[in-house]
Amino acid sequence: MAEASPVDLTADERRRFQEDALPLLDSLYGAALRMTRNPQDAEDLVQETMLRAYRAFDRFEAGTNLKAWLFRILTNAYINTYRKRQREPQKVSADEVEEFDLYRELKNHDTQFEATPESIVLDSLVDSDITDAIDDLPEQFRLAVVLSDIEGFTYAEMAEIMDVPMGTVMSRLHRGRKALQKRLWELARDRGIVQGSTDPQDDQNESSTSE
Amino acid sequence: MKEQCRETLERAYLYLDGELLSVSERHEIKRHLEDCAPCFERVGLEDDVARIVARLRGCEPCPARLRQKISSLLNE
Repeated sequence: MAEASPVDLTADERRRFQEDALPLLDSLYGAALRMTRNPQDAEDLVQETMLRAYRAFDRFEAGTNLKAWLFRILTNAYINTYRKRQREPQKVSADEVEEFDLYRELKNHDTQFEATPESIVLDSLVDSDITDAIDDLPEQFRLAVVLSDIEGFTYAEMAEIMDVPMGTVMSRLHRGRKALQKRLWELARDRGIVQGSTDPQDDQNESSTSE
Repeated sequence: MKEQCRETLERAYLYLDGELLSVSERHEIKRHLEDCAPCFERVGLEDDVARIVARLRGCEPCPARLRQKISSLLNE
């Protein structure tokens, strides 16, 4: 595939890339970290993304959605290069997500264990708990949650970025959020923020499975 | 009220995400949430979870070294 080398960008294009694209590195890196779950791979992925973007920048229509455009390149690069290198299994099975109900769990604990209101549970979780929970999600759920709930993309933008129909975006996002809630609950239990359940069913649900 | 609860909860994400619903559909949901405590709590919980995830925005800045490396590669 022939790619324009940087020398083919006009000086104006080069300046625009520096001014507009480089500030998005934090977002790109953060997302890359959630995708690859490995800082070294995340760095390589971001570098590759920026190089590809730079080479293709003459084809980017000024004034359109640069962030979405960059994230599309990032996601493609991830799928093509890094997905195969997945190093750790996911800890949440995609199938068991449907039955989990965080509201019901919190309500149950309210009656059994005095004071475990929602805010105590959620506010006790620190940032690394949240990233751990996200990292434990199956990849397609993880990507949807990151794009929507961390990066703030719309469903339409996500459809472009993930190259799937909007219905698929909604399905992955809604199920991904449920899966995340389940994982947050399990983490809260592991951390002792909520009492562990004596229900052996709970332990059966935790299995390392691939998607 | 049960049917309205079901409809409200089905649309909860669309409502919270500001997607796809018409103005009157949003209004319907808003009114139901004002009238129905369990739905209000459930939707509120979804919103709270979304908010703690959103805290992660910007919490992993691009390492300086990587930023410099990219800058210099682009300047070649």
